[in-house]
Amino acid sequence: MKFFYWISQTKIWESVFRTKLPISTNLDRALVIFNSLSLHIHPIKVRERAIKFTYTFYLGMISFFLFLVLTITGILLMLYYQPAIPNAYENMKDLKYVVSNGNFLRNMHRWSAHLMVISVFLHMLRVFFKGAYRPPRQFNWIVGVVLLIITLLLSYTGYLLPYDQLSYWAVTVGANIARYVPLIGEELSFLLLGGNNIGEYTLVRFYVLHCVILPAFMVMLIAFHFWRIRKDGGLL
Amino acid sequence: MNDDKINENNSEENVPKICRRKFLNTMGNTATGIVLLGGLGVTLDFLKPNVILEIPKEFKVGPIDSIQPNSVIYEPEQKAFVVRDEQGSFYALSAVCTHLGCTTKWNASGIGGNPKAIISCPCHGSLFNKKGELIQGPAQRGLDKFRLRLEDNQLVVNTSEIVSDEEMILKT
Repeated sequence: MKFFYWISQTKIWESVFRTKLPISTNLDRALVIFNSLSLHIHPIKVRERAIKFTYTFYLGMISFFLFLVLTITGILLMLYYQPAIPNAYENMKDLKYVVSNGNFLRNMHRWSAHLMVISVFLHMLRVFFKGAYRPPRQFNWIVGVVLLIITLLLSYTGYLLPYDQLSYWAVTVGANIARYVPLIGEELSFLLLGGNNIGEYTLVRFYVLHCVILPAFMVMLIAFHFWRIRKDGGLL
Repeated sequence: MNDDKINENNSEENVPKICRRKFLNTMGNTATGIVLLGGLGVTLDFLKPNVILEIPKEFKVGPIDSIQPNSVIYEPEQKAFVVRDEQGSFYALSAVCTHLGCTTKWNASGIGGNPKAIISCPCHGSLFNKKGELIQGPAQRGLDKFRLRLEDNQLVVNTSEIVSDEEMILKT
């Protein structure tokens, strides 16, 4: 304890954390939250009922936590995966049978992805039935819907990456659905697949979408979503 | 009051007055807009591959003497059925389901208790007869028919030429 106290009084600690320790007043407590980048997404004051489990079922935070798990496991999976034919399928099989704990990692990624779709959807239901989309929160509802769409697109693009029969036909069907879009359908499908059929280009395109473009949008929108909750007066 | 007078003067002379700030802003925004639009166009162009390694549109089957009447040849690469009917004439069908693009299967004795349902799609259960005509959805239309021609006793199928029911038959 004495050691931590000593650390908290050093110049280095002070330069990182602006709040003077020890905390004694309510103002100090509020300042801890206020002065920290990672904590300041919380409102300075929280209503007691908003922390109750049955109020939100923590669905938003569960979704965010699953996104973190997916990011970490996904980055690790990238180390053993090449988005090429036939490497992709072989790498996926290697992850299952050759790489230490590879199967665990892959399953964690897979199950988290399934759970994230479920939790994001339930989160939407919770917000809907509580009427938390009403003014002034209309725009955050829209952001939430975009986040749901990105979640689904991440699932869809990730589906091709193992490059087995299931992936191939699921993405064929998906690309043909895109083809039904009026006027730009053909073009859209061609851009998505990088050709008329699924091939090398498709795999790389889906890989880049899955690992770079969609997660980047996701992170930005999640940050905005959280910030907006706080600005609109906390959870409802 | 002064402002009003100046405006009146302007309207009388009917010369639109652009100040330096507005001029520079317009120029700058226009230039940025052009560059952004150009960048978007160039990027879209970049995203469309110019060379795609896909199998040729034309392929050959034969010699025709070795193909029995009332038989079918499935070309997995081209996803096409080449059929010789009882009368000995030929036609070629695309094996790609018109619903959402899965590859259909030829079942010689029919499927699901329907002897006419020769071609079935594994994805969503569309059924077609042996001429590729729709029996059961979710597909909305029959299978595509390819143009066939005879060349040195061999059949040449062109998968880029989709023809009507009358044109698809090649009599021998």
